[in-house]
Amino acid sequence: MAKKLKGDFFFLSANDLKTGCVVYYDGKSWSSKIEKAKKISRNQIEKYENIAKKFENKCIIISPLFVELTDEGKIKKLRDIIRYKGLTIKI
Amino acid sequence: MKQVILNKAEVYQNEYFILESIDKLPKSNSEKVIVTVKQWLENSTILKQKKYIGIKLNSDESINFVKKDINYFKIIQFNFLTFKDGRPFSEAKKLRVEFKFKNEIRASGHILPDQYIFLLRCGFNSVEIESAKKKYWLDCLKMDSGLYYQP
Amino acid sequence: MYQYSEKDKQIVKNRTKEFLFQVKRRINGDLTEEEFKPLRLMNGLYLQLHAYMLRVAIPYGELSYIQLKKLAEISEKYDKGYGHFTTRQNIQFNWPKLEDVPKILEELADVEMHAIQTSGNCIRNISCDHLAGINNEEVEDPRPWCEIIRKWSTFHPEFSFLPRKFKIAVIACDTDRAAMKVHDIGLKLVKKKNEVGFEVFVGGGQGRSPFIAKKINDFVKKKDLLNYLEAILSIYNEMGRRDNIYKARIKILINELGEKKLKSLVENKFKKFADKKLSLKENEIQEIKNYFKLPISGPIKSEIPLKKNKQYTNWLNQNVIEHKLSGYSIIMVSLKPYNQPPGDATANQMKTLSKIAQEFSYGEIRVTHEQNLVLPHVKNSDLFNVWNQLKSINLATPNIGLITDAICCPGMDYCALATARSIPISQKISRYFKNQSIQEKIGKIKIKISGCINACGHHHVGNIGILGLDRNGEESYQISLGGSADENTNVGQIVGPSFPEKELMKAITTIIKTFENNKKTKNENFLTVFNRIGIDPFKKDLYETSNSK
Repeated sequence: MAKKLKGDFFFLSANDLKTGCVVYYDGKSWSSKIEKAKKISRNQIEKYENIAKKFENKCIIISPLFVELTDEGKIKKLRDIIRYKGLTIKI
Repeated sequence: MKQVILNKAEVYQNEYFILESIDKLPKSNSEKVIVTVKQWLENSTILKQKKYIGIKLNSDESINFVKKDINYFKIIQFNFLTFKDGRPFSEAKKLRVEFKFKNEIRASGHILPDQYIFLLRCGFNSVEIESAKKKYWLDCLKMDSGLYYQP
Repeated sequence: MYQYSEKDKQIVKNRTKEFLFQVKRRINGDLTEEEFKPLRLMNGLYLQLHAYMLRVAIPYGELSYIQLKKLAEISEKYDKGYGHFTTRQNIQFNWPKLEDVPKILEELADVEMHAIQTSGNCIRNISCDHLAGINNEEVEDPRPWCEIIRKWSTFHPEFSFLPRKFKIAVIACDTDRAAMKVHDIGLKLVKKKNEVGFEVFVGGGQGRSPFIAKKINDFVKKKDLLNYLEAILSIYNEMGRRDNIYKARIKILINELGEKKLKSLVENKFKKFADKKLSLKENEIQEIKNYFKLPISGPIKSEIPLKKNKQYTNWLNQNVIEHKLSGYSIIMVSLKPYNQPPGDATANQMKTLSKIAQEFSYGEIRVTHEQNLVLPHVKNSDLFNVWNQLKSINLATPNIGLITDAICCPGMDYCALATARSIPISQKISRYFKNQSIQEKIGKIKIKISGCINACGHHHVGNIGILGLDRNGEESYQISLGGSADENTNVGQIVGPSFPEKELMKAITTIIKTFENNKKTKNENFLTVFNRIGIDPFKKDLYETSNSK
């Protein structure tokens, strides 16, 4: 999960097991509201990997990953932006 | 983790034990022993004398390694290193169809209850599983409709 | 079309029950995600970027109007009101909830549909010519053979945990409309000395390393088909690589072993160990063939209405094909309208199309591998009426085979594997070339767009292939030219360094200009010109001109 991560700050994200929705870890639980997402620094990665595993084992989430943030705390990668904001096309 | 053997719906204790090393080979002929391919190839002369001998292959080992000797084996056990490795299904079929093997074929290792029917249909007789999970295996067996598209 | 027997119905019902059991065990933790994943994949359930994705099987691309109506209802009830038709003639729903999937599968089972083996390392949907049974070229209808192979491959106990996915296509004429040669196994029905049998091709595929399938047998008798397929699959199961998922397809195996060696292994296995029970009897074959008899008894006198309506006339010229029985036509329904993602259909479109099919096409619809639909049997006299109805739901775009009829994968808007977006690119091309006269002047051309190297958009075999990449965090597009998925299957050549998204349209228009400047006659199409002049003039116009600035 933490391989090849670039930058100093991250969000912990995953998909809700039952619904598949994109969720972010807010320090206590998971929510789709990114405003509540907990900012995680690089040296905390291992700690949050373990937290993610606990929630995985409790069958709350699947596919946890770290979202890279810019220095200003904004989502860096296009893929993660799309994951958060949704489709870039009209349906 | 306690293991049991499932033969269709029948549950019993494993009557075979995996041989740790060749010097631990029991002298009596009533003991049921399973050896690895390596152990067999290195000690086949002594092992051929045993009444109840079996061989254990990992899912990445082919029965071709020991095909000349299969008639000595009372049991051939395929140990799945991962359930995704589907080679033992073809190996078991080969044993039944090409080599006309009539004795027991067993699956062990990382196998899922959802593979049970496929294993039985390919020629496996039994599976070695965690005792705690036997309910799921038996449920999978019960759910089977017996309707298949292949002979 | 095929109708389920009691056995078929029971098997699908059972599978639905089993999956419900698996979902329950997953949700309560008795199955880890690692253990559940191959099981859910075997039911066509993926986890994508935003949500789960359910891929429903449309066997060899054949749908009844009842089934299409049900797909529309499912999209409304459990999804966001639309579905996406794929390059394997299936349909995808992009937003189902895991907890709803057993219910969705139950509803699908009610109309003889399922999501079995649309994913996972098993034998997938059998692809077919979308004009099967209704064209004059074919040796015989390939659809019954697709059905026979479908049954044989479903829940095959030996081949459910292959090294990788396995795709089979069946055609029955020289014209290849099913991209047969880029399948793991391609079968072509041929007639030799008055007997019909199969040419067998193995090892085609796209993805990271495209390969064209090699012929390993000139003629396999009909009765031996399943035994021959068993021989190929069992060798693949035993010998296919499992150490590297990018080298696990049969195309790699045949490349590593050599054609001769693979052929001899297959022949040996087939000759020695053919199962008598798999040998097909004439009456068994005929039983399946009976399901595919045309719903039309014979030709009729029926004229195409001619109207002074340009849009209708354009549509007749581009989207309507002559049926093998005179008096009837085949309508190609374009799912590439100018303002909709390619290959998508809304619930309303599907519902209305279902009614149209019921009334005008004997209840039948088909899906093509180029992500369009087909109304296979429409009386000529009904064409204007049908056109009007299609137009009312935005499904009458007269662009079949033209530049805006592109194949396009879902790309990074949906797909967890993607390295770039693909749908916005196809929409840009669509908007730019919207003008009908311009499109017709350009003529027949196949643009194929993939959002990553897995090539679900078939970019390797596009006349213009576009591959979306990630270059230092920016979307960048690599262009290949001269590919083809027809009977002259060919992998396109990469034209040069990739283009940042902002420069892509300029590159495409330059390519079209180069093509137009090199036409010898008005009617020459892109591929003809490319094959004559080669890639250099395109390279020059794309790269040297900008360098000289």
